[in-house]
Amino acid sequence: MNYRFKVEPSLCTGCRTCELACAFSHSKNQKPGLSRIYPLAHAKEKYVPVTCLQCDDPACVKSCFFDALRRNEETGAVELNLERCVKCMACVASCPFGCALFDDVHDEVVKCDLCKGDPACAHFCPTKALKYVRIL
Amino acid sequence: MVHISINGKVVKATEGEMLLTVIRRQGIDVPALCHHEAVEPTGNCRLCMVEITREDWKGWKRHVTSCLYPVEDGLIVSTHTPEVMEIRKTILDLQLARSPEAEIIQKMAEEYGIYKTSYDIVPDADNCIMCYACTRICEVLGRSAISAVMRGHRKVIAPPFGEEPADCIGCLSCAQICPTDVIPWTDENGRRTIWKKKFDLIACKKCGKTTITREFAEFLMEKRSIPGEYFNLCDTCKRHELAEKMGGIVVAALEVTL
Repeated sequence: MNYRFKVEPSLCTGCRTCELACAFSHSKNQKPGLSRIYPLAHAKEKYVPVTCLQCDDPACVKSCFFDALRRNEETGAVELNLERCVKCMACVASCPFGCALFDDVHDEVVKCDLCKGDPACAHFCPTKALKYVRIL
Repeated sequence: MVHISINGKVVKATEGEMLLTVIRRQGIDVPALCHHEAVEPTGNCRLCMVEITREDWKGWKRHVTSCLYPVEDGLIVSTHTPEVMEIRKTILDLQLARSPEAEIIQKMAEEYGIYKTSYDIVPDADNCIMCYACTRICEVLGRSAISAVMRGHRKVIAPPFGEEPADCIGCLSCAQICPTDVIPWTDENGRRTIWKKKFDLIACKKCGKTTITREFAEFLMEKRSIPGEYFNLCDTCKRHELAEKMGGIVVAALEVTL
C-alpha cells in the first residue's frame, strides 16, 4: 500500500486521455467500460483528475451487505467482486466522493481497482499530471 | 488446501468452498440459474449437476449439484459426461415447460439442443422458477420481506398476505438477482414501485438524479452507520464537489508558496 496517485493539477490540461485509457483497459465484450477517472474543472480551464481515493475506512465497504467490496491487501485497492454484487446501489449512494459508479452499458457497478497495482491512466497521462508513485 | 481433479486437470481449492465456485474459477461453463455468490446455495434449479467419483470408490460414481457439494481432497469431477448432459437436458426441458417465456432458459436450452419443450406447457405458466434467490437475498439483508406462500403447484413468492410488505425497503436486490427477471418494478417521477409498495427515491439536491429509496438510505444509516449527508447528492455531483475541494486546496497552496 506504499503506492499512491500523485496529482499535479497545475499540469492537468483536461485532455481526458486518462478517461480513455481507463475505459479501454476495462473493456468487456469488445465494448469500452465506463471510466473510473474524470478530469473535472474546478475553475475556468483548471482541471483536477478525480478518482476513487481508496479510503482507509471506506463507506462503500461498510454499506455493502453482500461482502462484494473488499480491500486487496497487496495493492491497497478496494475491489468489487462482481460475482457477489447484486446491484442494490448502496455503495453508489454511500460513497461520499461519488467514485462508485453504475455502468449502464454493461449493467454493472464499477469502481477504481488500481488496475491490479498498475493503473493504465497514469501510464497514458501525456503531461505527467497524474503519476502513480511510491510514497514513504 | 485440497486438491481435486476437474475434467482431468488437478486444481487447488480452499476447504469449505463449493464445487461450482471452483469449477467456474477454472473457466468451465456449468449452467446454473439459482446460484449467486452472495447467497447461501440451495440447489433448487439442479442445473449445476456434475459427476463425482474417487479412486477408493472402486468405479462407483455420484451425480451431485455442484453448488451444494463442498470440495474434498481427491475428488474426481467430470462436468460434461454424456449422462450429466442428459440430466441437464431433461431439467431444461422441464424448466421450459414451466417457464416457456423466460429468455435465459430459452438460451440455455438452445445450447443443449432443445428448441421446444417435449412436455405439455403448464397452463398458468409464468417465468418464476421457484429458485428462492429473491427470498434468500432478502434474508441476507436481514429483512425477509417476501417468502414462498401456499403449497404444491400453487406455491408463489409473495409478501405476507399479498399486501404491501411492511419490511420491504425497496432496495431492488430481489429484482436484480432474479435469474428470469420476473419481479416487476418501476421507477417513475421520483417514486419506486415494487411488490405494490410505493417508495420515495432520494433526489440529488443539485441535479435531481435518483439512486436509492429513502427507506434504504435510512436502513444503511442505522445498520451500517453511514452519515445521512452522504445521500444528499448524486454520484456525479459528489465528484464535482470533490474536484472543487481539491482545486481549492491547490489554489490555497499556490498562494502560500507565492
